Amino acid sequence: MTHAKQPSVVGGKIQPPNVHSLLTVDQLSISFGGLKAVQQFSLNMPPGALYGLIGPNGAGKTTVFNLLTGVYQPNSGQMRLADQNLLGRKPHEITAAGVARTFQNIRLFPGLSVLDNVRLAGQLRTPHGLLKTLLRTPRHQAQEEAIHDKAFELLGLFDLQDRAHEAADCLSYGHQRRLEIIRALATGPKVLLLDEPAAGMNSQEKRELAQSIRRIRDEFQVAILLIEHDMGLVMDICERITVLDHGIIISEGPPVIIQKDPKVIAAYLGEAPPPS
Amino acid sequence: MADGPGNANSGGNQARQNPTTGPQPNVKSSPVQSLAEQKSTGQNPAEQNRAAQNPPMQNVLRGRTSVFVGLWPFAVGIILASLMYAILPGSVGPYYARIVMDIGIAMIMAVSLNIVNGMTGQFSIGHAGFMTLGAYAAGMMSYYGSLVMWDSPLKHGGMLGLGEWWFAVSCLFGGLVAACAGYVVGLPSLRLRGDYLAIVTLGFGEILRVILQQQSGSVITSGEALQSATWSQLFPLPIGGALGFSGIPKYTNLFWVYVFVTITVVIAYRLKQSSLGRAMISIREDEIAAQSMGVNVARQKVLAFVLAAFFAGVGGGLYAHESGVIVSPKDAGFQRSFDFVIMTVFGGRGSISGVMLAAVILTALPEVLRDFNQYRLIVYALLLIVMMLVRPQGLFGIREIWQFWPIRGTSLAKKEVP
Repeated sequence: MTHAKQPSVVGGKIQPPNVHSLLTVDQLSISFGGLKAVQQFSLNMPPGALYGLIGPNGAGKTTVFNLLTGVYQPNSGQMRLADQNLLGRKPHEITAAGVARTFQNIRLFPGLSVLDNVRLAGQLRTPHGLLKTLLRTPRHQAQEEAIHDKAFELLGLFDLQDRAHEAADCLSYGHQRRLEIIRALATGPKVLLLDEPAAGMNSQEKRELAQSIRRIRDEFQVAILLIEHDMGLVMDICERITVLDHGIIISEGPPVIIQKDPKVIAAYLGEAPPPS
Repeated sequence: MADGPGNANSGGNQARQNPTTGPQPNVKSSPVQSLAEQKSTGQNPAEQNRAAQNPPMQNVLRGRTSVFVGLWPFAVGIILASLMYAILPGSVGPYYARIVMDIGIAMIMAVSLNIVNGMTGQFSIGHAGFMTLGAYAAGMMSYYGSLVMWDSPLKHGGMLGLGEWWFAVSCLFGGLVAACAGYVVGLPSLRLRGDYLAIVTLGFGEILRVILQQQSGSVITSGEALQSATWSQLFPLPIGGALGFSGIPKYTNLFWVYVFVTITVVIAYRLKQSSLGRAMISIREDEIAAQSMGVNVARQKVLAFVLAAFFAGVGGGLYAHESGVIVSPKDAGFQRSFDFVIMTVFGGRGSISGVMLAAVILTALPEVLRDFNQYRLIVYALLLIVMMLVRPQGLFGIREIWQFWPIRGTSLAKKEVP
């Protein structure tokens, strides 16, 4: 059970990346009016990958997430999940296909209980007809019970079981972030998109987060794409990193290479002064 | 992944798979369940083992009781409605019985509006439009149906007689017609939010009012006239135009009102407790997050509108058959819609019991204040202002009345008992 992490070299021949690719994104572009927010964004993620997406503020990272989840429709490009086309599909269809996300600014359902937040995400693969709901057929009750049990188990894995019946907006900031990840996992994703999960956390919490991201990847067997500003965290856990600046990929590769790429350094710190 | 617990325990997973899930496909369970296995020690043994200890036999029994559980609220409702019908008019007199009946209709309207405004969070102020549409549709069906079948528009048969059943079917037909309109009005809600949607729904009521005024054919009063009627007498529809549709048989009584109240309330409550209702509430809470979690926002919104319109149409049917009522186009207007909006705001968005209580208070209050007729609108307005200052979330907020019971504590309701 090893994860295919990079396009591997077999017998001196480089395999095309999309043979093992789970999420395949090709030349995705979108512009808002005259602003070219994302141009020619490409990405190949094998199953179980843990990739990072970084870039200065306004580089278009969250826009990429919004494209991948169908919130925005790209002007051009392709995206596929395994053998399913994701292009032109609605957000809920993409979630059902297996791409789940969290949000940069937490977007829980504040008035719903913690449990209901997870239940809502966990119910998407269960057909719930109107008539069955209104008559409360045994089958419908069994389904609801199964959704409840699954949500409860999932909360238990992340030690939020005790808070299950509290309203989501009563949780602390850290717990809310955790609940968002749980909620995304409850949809049963193959690819998990995490948008700045470490924002507002201290270094101890960040270390714990890094551990739990790895744990989620291994135990739920999802591929994870991570947007993060904390370089320590990204360099520590990501296998490959894509760097965006002004909507364009300026570098892509494993962390060691990214760290030394002059273009990346220039994007973050500015051009080095010409030798005089 | 050498320590992959999924593989090591997969046999065990199968064995302790929740028997209640039955034929339900086991979606992505292995990592979740195997992790649960790891952490199950002392986490919450009761919750974890409940499934494992349920023998199959118990499951079968539970299925049977569920069928019973599914229907008992309706049975209780019918019994209560019969008791009210039998006792109330005799004990408190026709005047108060009539108020209780008006309260019932207001409950149907407020609880159904609450599905759209309170649960789904789509601000609709055209609810009286659906009500009036249902009133006209049900009225036409029962009036002209009676003319065709019994050659007279008067009441036919006694309690639970043929005429009353025809009236009940007419109310349901009114609901269906209103539901179709609800579908059409629901479509703009996919693109519009907040104030803009409110204006569209307001427009619906006004358009309907004008259309109904145009249907100025005078009401046909005998079976023979109906049979020999020419097309020009049937179009525009013979429903009296601005004068109103008079002569609708007066079938509405406490029994039928409260049977329909029961159906509306039980269905609204079940909706709220189910996956469907949860999806609706999630749209109210955060539409973008909801669609990202797999909620088909378009379907849920339209469904909410259709359901709400259906019950509004049924309520309209009951209203049309009340004694002393002449349904007229102005019923579809803005003022009546706003009465129902105030009830949902007053009761709390999404709180079914709160909205029912608000329907009682806001229907009874004008009657209580009838002696101070000049001042009652002032009192009414003051009450609302005080309410907005003191409790802007409504009487019960998003909770139900029994969730304030001390035993339950202040937390949200524990696991719902089916």
